[in-house]
Amino acid sequence: MVKGGIQVRSAFAVPFGEARLKNCERLNGELEALFTARETQEYRNPMPSHTPQEETFESRFNLFRWPEACVQELRRFVLDTVVETVLQVSQASAADLARLQMHNHTWYHVSRYAGSFVAHNHPLASWSAVYCVRPGQPVAAHPQSGLLRFMDTRAGADAFLDPGNARLRLPFALQPLEMRLEAGQVVVFPSYVFHEVTPFYGRDTRITVATNCWFV
Amino acid sequence: MPIFAAPFGTVPILEGPELNAALAPLIAQRSSTAHRDPLAPDPLCFRSREDLFEWPDEAAVRLRQAMLEGLVRLTQAVNAYTDEQFDAFSVQARARFALVRPNGCWPICTVPLATWCAFYCVSAPPPVAARPDSAVLRLYENRFGFMFMDPTNCRMRAPYTPGHHVWSPVAGTMVIFPGTIAHEVALNRADSDLVLVKARVRFAVPGVQELPPW
Repeated sequence: MVKGGIQVRSAFAVPFGEARLKNCERLNGELEALFTARETQEYRNPMPSHTPQEETFESRFNLFRWPEACVQELRRFVLDTVVETVLQVSQASAADLARLQMHNHTWYHVSRYAGSFVAHNHPLASWSAVYCVRPGQPVAAHPQSGLLRFMDTRAGADAFLDPGNARLRLPFALQPLEMRLEAGQVVVFPSYVFHEVTPFYGRDTRITVATNCWFV
Repeated sequence: MPIFAAPFGTVPILEGPELNAALAPLIAQRSSTAHRDPLAPDPLCFRSREDLFEWPDEAAVRLRQAMLEGLVRLTQAVNAYTDEQFDAFSVQARARFALVRPNGCWPICTVPLATWCAFYCVSAPPPVAARPDSAVLRLYENRFGFMFMDPTNCRMRAPYTPGHHVWSPVAGTMVIFPGTIAHEVALNRADSDLVLVKARVRFAVPGVQELPPW
């Protein structure tokens, strides 16, 4: 018989930050027009790290250096969300971060039918974020279409399952985290987390902006 | 020398062409709702129930025998048991087939409660120019140590290379790897199906420890 209460806590936790841009329709409309107009060789990433998929356009990694007002507005929102996430989970203070330079690589993806992006993480960065400009149509026959899927960092922990661990509740469940992003939503996560975009089966476009950040 | 190495075995099945000729119509006949895994309704990737190794059909029986022979050879090769010790183990295996249609894929998964995962290719679509990752079996990298990279660790030779490991299915060939490695079949960009049989396998020591049901 156990005496006293048992306290259960989460250990080895992975922080995820989320925010939503209110009234994002105007900004997203401007971004979508700009991004689709620039789906050209000039703006395409010339050195993709993974096998390029013709159904997914990937821009160069200098997006947040574009001078257009809509890009700069997005830059403030996304990077502020990253900083706020760091402040919430780190012992570093705002003053500490203010003394550092925050670097970023930022790009956009436009995915069309059967576009996807293979699982990867981002070496040489501490925080990554994905902002949704346009989620694309949901497809009833493909409920997994266009998901942002994060792999459980406890690789191999599900190798042995019995009734004692097969149905653990969140945040203990051994499973990937799957997110169907909504327009204006940004998710911030540690860059070490492997993630992928599942095949998108909408007949329209799915548009996202991704950034990797590091502090020096 | 490599440390923390994972075995990845490639096993040509000698009777593969003849076996595949017999398996193809059987699989085609059973690509129906009655045989579909009810938890996998994806219209672009038909996955059968996990009962292929229980089929009484001669082709299925021969396939089971061939796959398990190959798997036993590989596991013996990477273990320190004597033949006599190994013979005392009983093999438990379950298998299903999958048809990965054009623009379909088999999403990431592992095989809990099994030590080994095996894929046998019944038929493969032709290679697609400029799409080298079409319909490949991709085993996921999961080492976080490569979060810090400089020129001396980002282009290391095999077997030290960081990144996913891929295998392009070849009809009549089987691959075997530890079931804990997350894997997927990448999008099939060809215009014909990739037909695979996937098995999960474990060995039991009679009278020592009862394994949970799977």
